Amino acid sequence: MADEAGVIRFNAVSKRYATPARGEVWALRNLDLVCPARQLTCVLGPSGCGKTTLLRLAAGLETPTAGRVTIDGQPVTGPTQGVGLVSQEGALLPWRRVIDDVALGLEIRGVGRAQRRDQARRAVARVHLPSEVERSLPHELSGGMRQRVALARALCPGPRILLMDEPFASVDEPTRHHLQSEVLNVWQADGQTILFVTHNVEEAVYLADRLIVMTFARTVADLPVALPRPRDRLAPEFVETLLTVRRTFTERALTAADG
Amino acid sequence: MTNQRLLIRVLLGAVVPLAILVIWHLASAGSVVVPSIGAVLDVLVHPLREPPTLDATSLASGALISVLRVLCGFGLAALTAVPIGVWVGRSETARHLLAPTMAAAMVISPIAWIPVAIIAFGLSSPATAVYGDEAWRYGMLDQVRFAIVAVIWLGAFFPIAINAAAGAGGVRDAHIEAARVLGANRRQVLTKIILPGAAPAIVTGLRVGGGIAWRVIIAAEIFPGTRGGLGYMIATAHEQASYEYAFASIIVIGAIGLALDSTLRLAAHRVSRWQPKER
Repeated sequence: MADEAGVIRFNAVSKRYATPARGEVWALRNLDLVCPARQLTCVLGPSGCGKTTLLRLAAGLETPTAGRVTIDGQPVTGPTQGVGLVSQEGALLPWRRVIDDVALGLEIRGVGRAQRRDQARRAVARVHLPSEVERSLPHELSGGMRQRVALARALCPGPRILLMDEPFASVDEPTRHHLQSEVLNVWQADGQTILFVTHNVEEAVYLADRLIVMTFARTVADLPVALPRPRDRLAPEFVETLLTVRRTFTERALTAADG
Repeated sequence: MTNQRLLIRVLLGAVVPLAILVIWHLASAGSVVVPSIGAVLDVLVHPLREPPTLDATSLASGALISVLRVLCGFGLAALTAVPIGVWVGRSETARHLLAPTMAAAMVISPIAWIPVAIIAFGLSSPATAVYGDEAWRYGMLDQVRFAIVAVIWLGAFFPIAINAAAGAGGVRDAHIEAARVLGANRRQVLTKIILPGAAPAIVTGLRVGGGIAWRVIIAAEIFPGTRGGLGYMIATAHEQASYEYAFASIIVIGAIGLALDSTLRLAAHRVSRWQPKER
């Protein structure tokens, strides 16, 4: 299925968890979603709406209770080669120096030391980390730098699909803006399919080709974002889109809560 | 550190040992039981001399026998306790299977197992296993009795296993998942994530286990049925009232213990460098 290359597809996907406190909880209910190849799809939703679960299913870290997830037309049964994940703060290996953490994916594939260091160096440079940090340990870096390293680690093996789970939620706003541009630069150069999960409306509007609003384990809105790139956060049409999305987000979230 | 601060540090560290020497000197003057500092120094500077008054080998060979016994028991404990501890830390089945026994066994003094070990292993040693009745000819090898090694093993096993279990259990899911998404198989998750993540705890366990092993060996050698070793020398010196050998042995025990702990502390520092200092 050549036309499925780079496509992430969720078909009637449900996921139920057993929790000690609240018994069985549905993280996703009968969800359909297609992330077209080379597009940047943002999933926007409040904490606990199931958006991280969506990403974990695509990453092959969880299996759906019902329905199926496919990547390139193939059902996801575990982590898939060519899929990169950037998580929230804290997924860097604290004992590895930056260069070796970035090279982890290549090391796992058995790429020789010299070659993987070379490739890791390029990944580090791509996300505009100074080369001095190559020998640093994560705890010696700022939060923003750590997330750059996480991005470099995901990029290093050359993924066709990037899954991003609120990667910039815990960095300050100016840094977040820089990191968002970094993601756009990479994406515009390489054309990955990106599924980007966030609770930040502005971030979603700034990044997305398409914006999916989620609440309570369901998608409640599917909004194309047609703003030209590069986007100017202060342009009237940006602000207008932002307000529309925010309104939709609030309304749909409330409706879903009532229903 | 400036020279002056280093000097102050060294002087402060010397206060207590000097005080002990003074008290010792005063106590030994006119006492027939407490040996003089000179008599003990005489033993220490002639480590290869066979004690004329004792049925024991030289101080150096006694120390060597004790060290050999500890290295065997401790090495076996490390080889067995680290894998089992990591397994307990990562597998719920293993935890339910072993954790209660480990918690109970941990609080039993290893010395209590000596009779059990002697029932199980008798006087067998690597030498008896290989050379049978001729074993006594291979002195040093014959001294590494399986019963004693087993007791050391028991003493060191539980702290190492329990620390390894805590370390492996504390490895964050986010780290394991990062490796899995990058394509790691189970073996790679173990070698690249779980073992490095658990390494500081494992080395802490080795340090605790090493300390216990060294304490236990001295106590085990004091038990009847053992020959050779520093503990044996203390026991014999006590029976023969040659206290200078007991005192010298104690000093050697301290020195070797300090060297052992320093080595393990250095190892701990090396594998824990990545951990930020808690403030």
